[in-house]
Amino acid sequence: MAASVVNAYSDPSTSWMNAPHSTGTSIMACEFDGGVVIGADSRTTTGVYIANRVTDKLTRITEHIYCCRSGSAADTQAIADIVTYHLNFHKMELGEAPLVESAAAIFRELCYNYRDSLMAGILVAGWDKHKGGQIYSVPIGGMVQRQQVSIGGSGSSYVYGYVDANFKPKMSKAEAMKFVTNTLTLAMLRDGSSGGVVRLGVITEAGVERSVILGDQLPKFYED
Amino acid sequence: MATVLAPEIPAPGFSFENCQRNAFLAQKGFPAPRATKTGTTIVGIIYADGVILGADTRATEGPVVSDKNCEKIHYLAANMYCCGAGTAADTEMTTQSVASQLELQRLHLGRAIPVATASTILQRTLFRYQGHIGAALVLGGVDRTGPHIYCIYPHGSVDKLPYATMGSGSLAAMAVFEAGWKANMSEEEGKKLVRDAIAAGIFNDLGSGSNVDICVIPTTGPAKYLRTYEEANVKGKKQGNYRYPIGTTAVLRQRVIPLEVESVTVTPTQPMEVEPSSSRR
Amino acid sequence: MSSIGTGYDLSASQFSPDGRVFQVEYAAKAVENSGTVIGLRGKDGVVFAVEKLVTSKLYEPGANKRIFHIDEHVGMAVSGLISDARQIVETARSEASSYRSQYGVSVPLKYLNERVSMYMHAYTLYSAVRPYGCSVVMGSWSENDGPQMYMLDPSGVSFSYFGCAVGKAKQAAKTEIEKLKLADLTVKDLIKEASRIIYLVHDELKDKQFELELSWVSKATKGRHELVPRELAAEAENLAKQALADIEDSDDADM
Repeated sequence: MAASVVNAYSDPSTSWMNAPHSTGTSIMACEFDGGVVIGADSRTTTGVYIANRVTDKLTRITEHIYCCRSGSAADTQAIADIVTYHLNFHKMELGEAPLVESAAAIFRELCYNYRDSLMAGILVAGWDKHKGGQIYSVPIGGMVQRQQVSIGGSGSSYVYGYVDANFKPKMSKAEAMKFVTNTLTLAMLRDGSSGGVVRLGVITEAGVERSVILGDQLPKFYED
Repeated sequence: MATVLAPEIPAPGFSFENCQRNAFLAQKGFPAPRATKTGTTIVGIIYADGVILGADTRATEGPVVSDKNCEKIHYLAANMYCCGAGTAADTEMTTQSVASQLELQRLHLGRAIPVATASTILQRTLFRYQGHIGAALVLGGVDRTGPHIYCIYPHGSVDKLPYATMGSGSLAAMAVFEAGWKANMSEEEGKKLVRDAIAAGIFNDLGSGSNVDICVIPTTGPAKYLRTYEEANVKGKKQGNYRYPIGTTAVLRQRVIPLEVESVTVTPTQPMEVEPSSSRR
Repeated sequence: MSSIGTGYDLSASQFSPDGRVFQVEYAAKAVENSGTVIGLRGKDGVVFAVEKLVTSKLYEPGANKRIFHIDEHVGMAVSGLISDARQIVETARSEASSYRSQYGVSVPLKYLNERVSMYMHAYTLYSAVRPYGCSVVMGSWSENDGPQMYMLDPSGVSFSYFGCAVGKAKQAAKTEIEKLKLADLTVKDLIKEASRIIYLVHDELKDKQFELELSWVSKATKGRHELVPRELAAEAENLAKQALADIEDSDDADM
């Protein structure tokens, strides 16, 4: 990854062809009382060029399960497509909504088996009737672990401290949304390959509620 | 065993057996020869009543312009066209293959195919070949759900956008769009904006040049393929005339030297010997 | 069976003119020769009881078990040909384990039952194979779905039951089960009832020896399918013998 970035800087005019089209990203998911809040920035880069400034990195898998994508756009889109297919089929066989755990297991299976050819860091988040709101992190390499709050992408390195300092279990929906918005805003401010708008999704028993916070409506922090 | 009558059939698809060797050679300073890549400006926008695609017409092989008026807007279906940047052969063959799949699908289902179908076929194809098919595409079309523009990258990722640019001139073209695009433009406004974006590529990007091709696909009615919508680089007229009129140079004197032509005809007295064994007549 | 000897019973892939598949019916007959198996679904779990007939005194106690673990949370009691049944057990186990590895969670019994039923049904369709000569009962308990129990037979048909019985004395056993208020009973009560029924329906004249196998899966076992602990099983068995003796006494008194 680093090598191709150096290459891209040296010749920005041709980076669109050679540089992998990737989501240098800030993504986040956070459990709250009654569900999960997921969030992401909206920047997609090829080398030094922003190929898409309004990307939607929150991708629907089923009615109650979403994933936050980071890494190669092509890889994560392909994985999400495959998992969507599997879970649709599974839902028909089962006759009921698939579990978030099952979605995470399929993501893990793909990410682990193809770990040498994939560049994907994925947060699987959703709601099911067994365990309510859940988040599973599937980082590069194909591990899976459940977390109450999880951050990912290049921007996450800058905000681990903020998350550790500010996360509280059993927050209200509004608190969780504010927490995710603040974290992503801070990540976007410090990470060059994250930026744009903040996209949010709230997943509860009732389904998914999507919202966008535009660049000029993001919370203000120390900016000097 | 392979014979002339029953030759061995080569395995279909790509062969990667030389990849390791080539990587080794490249590392030793012997890079592989490059395929023709069209340094390109291609764009697409959504306007009030459909989509408009645009492209320049320059094809290059390294520093050489190999075609001054090539076609980069490819037909996919009656309601869909696709601009291609990247390796010329790959964009051509990929779009042809997709066009054929879409037509078969249309015949099978008996209705117009949605743009998302084409986008998915392209995405899957390009992802399967892991970027080895160097096709960067702007797909535009209309269906029952309205107008759509998709950006498809060589590695198989897809963006769905209201306006998109691709190719080496994409930065110049995007600058024009970011300044000028608005929702619900008229067809004329749209064509003007697309022309401006392509012109920005033609004039500011070395890899792009020659003419502007445009394709308008309205949600109502048939697509209008405007080949050579504008010649961006019309040769300028010479301002002055630098030809000397006849008689500019004065004739000081004339002398005629007659040439005597002497003609000599040589006829052989004996017939020519054609073969050593032939007898003389 | 009116059409015996007409040649329509030679293959599982052929119907008789009156629309029956004799091979499947014969398979069901094979099950009727086997020891009685009952499954009871109470309010907090499922109990299995098997009358395992011991055909020789040379067998070690506990040989040829008829209750199996399919997965942590699923138990299976089988009647019919034991070798056929073991293959069904293997199939169910591999289905359960493949589900676990694919989806990361334990298989829902509803789904497992569908898969095993489909597998058994496939063996009623082709001339090259014979149907399985066994019926199986599967049960599980989970916090979300509560107790569940299914019985499947050689035809590939399966139903969910409150209480079921299969084998030699299934009629007598069913009559006894119908007297129980299953939805109100806990597994602790059910093991006693199940043992009693098995002892009651056992035909001492025809089959001399039998072993009582008991297992359960319930809230108390944390959703795990387990054999009933030795002391509890012994207690239930003693009560069953006592109940049987009481009946015989009262029968004697009547005479």
